[in-house]
Amino acid sequence: MSMIETENLTRTFGELTAVDNVTMKVNEGEVFGFLGPNGAGKITTVRMLCCLISKTSGKARIGDFEVDREEDRLKIRKMVGYLAGDVGLYENLSAYKNLDFFGKLYEVPSGKREENIKHLLELLGLWERKDDVVAGLSKGMKQKLAIARALIHEPQVLFLDEPTANLDPLAAKTVRDFVLELKKEKRTIFMNTHNLDEAERICDRIAVLKTRLIKVGSPEDLERSISSRKTVVHLESIVNSVLAAVKKLSTVKNVSTSENKLILDMDDPEKDNPQLVRAIVAAGGNIQYVTEERSTLEDVYLKLVRGT
Amino acid sequence: MRFWKSWIVTAKDLSVFRNNKYILYSLIAMPLIMGLLIPVVLIYSLQAQVAVLTQAQLIEVATLFVNMFSSFFVITAVALPTVIASYSFIGEKLEKSLEPLLATPTTDSELLFGKSLGAFIPCIGATYIGELIFVIVIGGWSIINLGTLLLPTLHWALVTGIIIPLAGVLSVEANIIISSRVNDMRAAQQIGGIIILPLLLLTVLPSVIQIIPMVTLALILSGGLAVADVGLFYLSKAIFQREEILTKWK
Repeated sequence: MSMIETENLTRTFGELTAVDNVTMKVNEGEVFGFLGPNGAGKITTVRMLCCLISKTSGKARIGDFEVDREEDRLKIRKMVGYLAGDVGLYENLSAYKNLDFFGKLYEVPSGKREENIKHLLELLGLWERKDDVVAGLSKGMKQKLAIARALIHEPQVLFLDEPTANLDPLAAKTVRDFVLELKKEKRTIFMNTHNLDEAERICDRIAVLKTRLIKVGSPEDLERSISSRKTVVHLESIVNSVLAAVKKLSTVKNVSTSENKLILDMDDPEKDNPQLVRAIVAAGGNIQYVTEERSTLEDVYLKLVRGT
Repeated sequence: MRFWKSWIVTAKDLSVFRNNKYILYSLIAMPLIMGLLIPVVLIYSLQAQVAVLTQAQLIEVATLFVNMFSSFFVITAVALPTVIASYSFIGEKLEKSLEPLLATPTTDSELLFGKSLGAFIPCIGATYIGELIFVIVIGGWSIINLGTLLLPTLHWALVTGIIIPLAGVLSVEANIIISSRVNDMRAAQQIGGIIILPLLLLTVLPSVIQIIPMVTLALILSGGLAVADVGLFYLSKAIFQREEILTKWK
């Protein structure tokens, strides 16, 4: 079942089109990465989905509710959690009071609110600092507190804008692990990020946006889609007979060499590699090992973004 | 509109103000200064008349002065929101806490009302504390020196009960509008100060120069302020919308 669905979602600001005909579906319990350069329309899309700003045209739905229906907006806001790019906490209130305030606004009953605050602060390692004013917390702690705030009402859908930006590696890992915990709880997570490594590690699917939606797929699908999977054969040494034998194979699109390595473009490596190995061995080549060189998500991203 | 939702916002703002020394000092200092300074100046002016006027004349002059000086508390009601309301909105802008707040299941009107109330309550509270000090000091002096209480009078009741709250509301609304257009607290307060100046002149000056009877003047001012309050309320409501705040508030 799709939890977030858009159809030709568009937003313009005067002459500028910030989001152009975006159509996508995010399934329940999915971690969905939203990648794109600065100004690509990621935040505008999230703001439309969180009913913070209106759309110019198209459709958008969260669960069973339409974002542009007045009577649905409060329901959507109640079922989504939103971590904005800036933590936006009340600096001279305590961590606990910050969460308590938002818990009240999200209409979480008193007992449940206390329980959730304790649970979240303990989970994020902030319980001991609950009475400290936010101004005294580190950047990482503030980020974790902002995440706790987005989860105080146990939302079904969570929008995270750059959740690990500016965090040290340890704090970033805590946040990533936390997102994966949320995934286990079947929450739908929509994550804006510039961190490609992070997207690859935790997202089930990734969308690349540059005003228009360029591509959507699993990290593996995206990497394959650029068709730059290469088979790398490490040989004891490269001799002409091996090179000639390889070039004769119709399944090999392109061959290049680097030191004692043969680098080959293949259509279907899983199917064609055994034939390749046999041909090299028959031509007198001594294979040390065969590896695969894949394009990374970064390659894919750069190609998609530059190519538009 | 759910008032309990607005009250959550109000209570949070009051809590933020309690923890902010700058706000707290402003709230304490202003009524103290006004509550003590005005009676001192008033009593000093009246003491000079004691030797030259009869008891009846002195009571008449004292009543006139008390009415006139009580109008000065409008200054507190109008000036404090330039500090509190501008902090309430620009503070949220500077802390970038408006966006998470706007993402909650709360309507624009509930947020606006909650924040306006959060700015209004401490301002009006501080003004009335100043008034209370004024009433106690003047009451004590008048009983001792004139053998009678000078307050309450109809003019004083109109100023305290109607003009001060209406002027306070007007100032809060004006400051919301200013806050939506500037990012700097001091700039907001300076613009707020300039904007409230005509209001102060309109409210205080006629009381001092006695163009028309004070009660008539108070009634005219009350009506004018009420109309201005309603007008500015709709203007601030038009400005305080999620989309405006996120895309146009700079």
